[in-house]
Formats: sequence, C-alpha cells, structure tokens
Amino acid sequence: MKGFSTKAVHGKALRKDPHGALRFPLYDAVAFEQPSARDIQWAFEGRKPAHTYSRITNPSVEHFEQRINLLADSLGVVALSSGMAAISNLMLTIAETGSNIVTTKYLFGNTYSLLESTLKPWGLEARYIDMEDTDQLRRSIDHKTRAIFLEIITNPQLQVPDIEAISQVARAQAVPLLVDGTLTTPYIFKSKDFGVDVEVISSTKSISGGATSVGGVIIDNGTFDWGNCPRLEESAGKYGEFALLTKLKREVYRNLGACLSPHNAYLQTLGLETLGLRIDRSGANAQQISEFLETCRKVRSVHYPGLKSSRYHERARAQFKGKFGGILTFELESREKCFAFMDGLKLIKRASNLNDNKTLILHPASTIFCEYSSGEKEEMGVGESMLRLSAGIEDVVDIMEDIENNLAVI
Amino acid sequence: MRIKVNGEMYSPGAETPTILDLLREREVEMPEMVSVQLNGRFVKKENFGSTTLKEDDEVEFLYFMAGGAG
Repeated sequence: MKGFSTKAVHGKALRKDPHGALRFPLYDAVAFEQPSARDIQWAFEGRKPAHTYSRITNPSVEHFEQRINLLADSLGVVALSSGMAAISNLMLTIAETGSNIVTTKYLFGNTYSLLESTLKPWGLEARYIDMEDTDQLRRSIDHKTRAIFLEIITNPQLQVPDIEAISQVARAQAVPLLVDGTLTTPYIFKSKDFGVDVEVISSTKSISGGATSVGGVIIDNGTFDWGNCPRLEESAGKYGEFALLTKLKREVYRNLGACLSPHNAYLQTLGLETLGLRIDRSGANAQQISEFLETCRKVRSVHYPGLKSSRYHERARAQFKGKFGGILTFELESREKCFAFMDGLKLIKRASNLNDNKTLILHPASTIFCEYSSGEKEEMGVGESMLRLSAGIEDVVDIMEDIENNLAVI
Repeated sequence: MRIKVNGEMYSPGAETPTILDLLREREVEMPEMVSVQLNGRFVKKENFGSTTLKEDDEVEFLYFMAGGAG
C-alpha cells in the first residue's frame, strides 16, 4: 500500500478480529480478563502485550494508535483524551523542575496558558523566541533545554516556520524537536521527513471526521536518542528507542489518566478514512474564500498560506505537498465590525473549533485569548480586528454567499 | 544451556542461540513492538541476529503498552 487514503482505509489491524469484522469493533469495556494469574502479572510488568484496564490500554484505542502509526510512518503512538492532554503529558514526560522549553509566543492560547499558568509554577521555564531567527534559537538553547516546541502552522497567526532549518539546530544541539501538527496532520505534512522527533495532534479537529469527538495523539518518530534527555536516561537504558513511549505508558499517561475513550477512538479511526477527502475539500474552499476576500474593499488583510501574497506561500508549498490547510484569517476595520459580521452570518457557525465539516468563524482576541492583556495579545500576534475562519466541506458557493451578504451590510 | 526469559528458567533449542532465534522459538507476540533487554541493557533491533546468548543470561521481552491499573 502506497497511498495515504488506501492505508487509512485498509491498514491491517494488529490483532485479528475473531469474527472477521471489516471495521474494527468498539471495545467499550473497562477491564479484560487474563487466562491465568501469571498472565495478568506479565501484562502488568509489560512482559505480555495484553489489555488489562482501559485507562492504560484498550483494543479500540490501540487500533486507532496503530492506524496513526502506519500513516505517520512513526515508531509508536499514544492516543489521549485531547490535544492539550497530548501536549501536557509530553511536557511532563521530558522536562523537570529547573529545565526549559524553547518555544514561541505564536501558540494556541491554551498551550501558552499551559506553559505560563500551569507548568511555570512547577519550575518549567518557557523561553519565547522568534522561530524565524535560527541564530536566536541556537543562543536560547542551553544544557537545561529539554525541547524545542512549535506549531507547524501557528494558530491563529498562520505562520509557517521553516521546519528543516529548525530541526538542523535541534539536531546539532541534541535537543528534541516537538511540534503541534494539528492544522496539517500526516496527510499533508510527514513530520519525520522534516526532522521532527515528536508530533502532537489534536485529533478533535480534522481526524475526528467532522467534530465527532475530542482526542489527541503523541507520535514518536523514533529519531531522537532519549538517552540525551535526563528524565528519560534510565528508560533509554532499558527500552532504547521506546524510552519516551514506555515512560508515558508506564508512568505519566497512566498516572494522569488522560486516556482516550474507546468510543472516541472508534469514531476517530472512522474519521481517518476520509481525512484526505475532507482536507482536500476544505483546503480548496479556503483557497477560494481567501482569494475572494482579497478582492473585498472592507477586508483590510487576508492571511492564508495558499495565497501568493502570503510570505509563507513558497515554504508552505514545499512543506505541505502543495496543500495549505483549511484555516484562514482576515481583518476588518475593528472589533465591532468583526462582531457585526459574525452576528449576521446565516450558514457559517460562530463556534470555537477547527476543521469541522461545517465552516466556523471565531474572533480569537475575545475568546481563546480573552485572558490576556492587549500587550500580550499583540506579542502573540492576535489583533482585535482579526477573524479566524475554518473552511468546511460545504459547496463553496454557499459559504461565499454568506460572506458576501454580510460584508455588504457592515 | 540455561538462561532466564522474563524471569523464568529456559533451555533454548539451539546451542548458541541469538536473540532473533529466541524470539522465533518462543513465538513472541508482536515482535515489531517488543523491546529486548539482555542482562538489564537494551538491545537494538538491528543487533537481534548478531547477539549470541550464553549460560545464565537474562532476557526480557517488554512492551510499552503495559502499565497496570486500578
């Protein structure tokens, strides 16, 4: 199997279903009996690949993890209850008090809050730099740096960092490169090919198949020597390349209880089968909408990597196989104009999510970033007159009509 | 020859078995997902065929999916 969608539809299950079901069944069960006391002992000790308890492992969740693993061509995958659970579990696995993460302020608002409000009091420092400046990146890394972390397409600034350039710095300094690939997914960005060591994705977005369920994944590409990470040194001695995944499963993920529900795993495995179709459609819609918005005099600016006017256009084209995702932003005259525009929409939904089948719109400054001051929002690239639009898979003519009608009356 | 596999005594069929031989002989489940430890140290996959076992060696086949529960 070569094609992404063929693999997504036909990828083999790790274990054979006793009834030959074409769709891997939903194991909506908490506990699994073992044949003997020794079997359950071995399962607990990790000596037997058996399911014991669904907070740790579950057949439907494992099946979803294996399908992502196949599509990403990675070493292994851990599925979690949300994208934020994926990021927090990963940070807590690789970093310790007194260490630091080099990142950027161009982050999803809740990720920034995780670093600043939740993890900082526990002694994890976040160093914010401009990811376009690789010299600054190099200078920011020291012996206490545990990772470089960034988003492949930043939300909502839609910056597209040069991942190969950043990974070269990471490689030279023996620091793992961690990325949030929510807006790309392995369909348009194979992180392993660009030197990314670990990718996290909010599978709630494109992967869930149309906002069906909340979930997240941690994908270990198997490219980093975890013996270089103090918190994983011992694990690397015992488990080698599986050090991160084992530390997660046997400690952090297990203890934090951030498991993906089997039902959500079932829905998201189904969502994977149509991922390519939906990303292609929403991307084509986003392209047409952004090109149209560029021609509207009431629109001050439009940001979409697929636009030739975007400073990230060529880089995005090279990194994302000529695809650009389904998210765009545009600016109107003021916050008031943004609110008036949103309130008049008939088809487009006012909602906080991305990559739904429905087209969604949000005013980031008053929602996801509402807890930050004007100065902080400015540093984070979130303006008061910016609207974020997540293109759905509807007929583009209907989306455009809704936009055009509302621009006419504001 | 006697070795320990997952904490239990075991006599391999071959006189000088490799880790790969042992994986096959024991029909270890999902061999692509297994981590192998020899005397407490991790063995890389590419060395399974060239790592020969000797008397009293201790081998562990481990899976990252494990963890225990409530």
